[in-house]
Amino acid sequence: MTPEEEDLLIEQVATAWRPAAEDELTYHKAWHDLDAAGRTRAFERARALRPLEAALDPDGLSTTARAVLTRITRR
Amino acid sequence: MNHDLFLPDIVSGNAQAFGTWMAYCEPTLRLSLRSFASVVDTEAVLQESLLRVWQVAPRFVPDGRDNGLLRLAIRIARNLAVSELRRTKARPAEAEEIEEALADDDAPPAPPDPMLRKHIANCRDKLPQKPREAFEARLHSAGGRDDDELATRLGMRLNTFLQNFTRARKLLADCLKRAGVALDEELGR
Repeated sequence: MTPEEEDLLIEQVATAWRPAAEDELTYHKAWHDLDAAGRTRAFERARALRPLEAALDPDGLSTTARAVLTRITRR
Repeated sequence: MNHDLFLPDIVSGNAQAFGTWMAYCEPTLRLSLRSFASVVDTEAVLQESLLRVWQVAPRFVPDGRDNGLLRLAIRIARNLAVSELRRTKARPAEAEEIEEALADDDAPPAPPDPMLRKHIANCRDKLPQKPREAFEARLHSAGGRDDDELATRLGMRLNTFLQNFTRARKLLADCLKRAGVALDEELGR
């Protein structure tokens, strides 16, 4: 895998989107293609992005919090 | 700050109050999963943990100490991550427990202050069209759509969408740095 390809995988894994599931954990498919260092980078990338997202949200919520609220209101 | 002040409203089923609690507590909870980052999908663990907190909150009994619900959330998240480790047979570096996560001052305060909001919004408004479209598509989808779908909606290939998102992220980081906003280094990498 080239560094550029790895960067794109990290960018994908850093999103708050995860496949829909009822009562189980569902991983982002790109997470499995990353090595340990890439997964850690994706964690740090998400950690850096969420405050930015929250700052642009009228209620101060990150996309993670929004995704959780959507799941709560669907149930 | 004791975020348990939102507890009565959360217990009564007020999702908006839970959202506000998440706005304050998500950074600390996420940070508590750092030692698992290389072996489990921490975003999936985090979201599932928050969902379980919402489900058990009506039965939660505070022990008199501050941030009891956050302590519970950290415990739930760590237990879930450990369950995942059993499945994968992998092990993270030994992590300190709940008190360390709560005491970690690296977690940014939330929600952000109005000036920070203004700087970020100004920088977002300066983004070129395509990177801005990619950035806002993710933001507005609120974790509800994957990048493939967002790319298709914007008439982009997935790689083009991701490259535009990366460009937006780096341009935002540069702009915020010029405005004197302290940033996590990962934002501009």
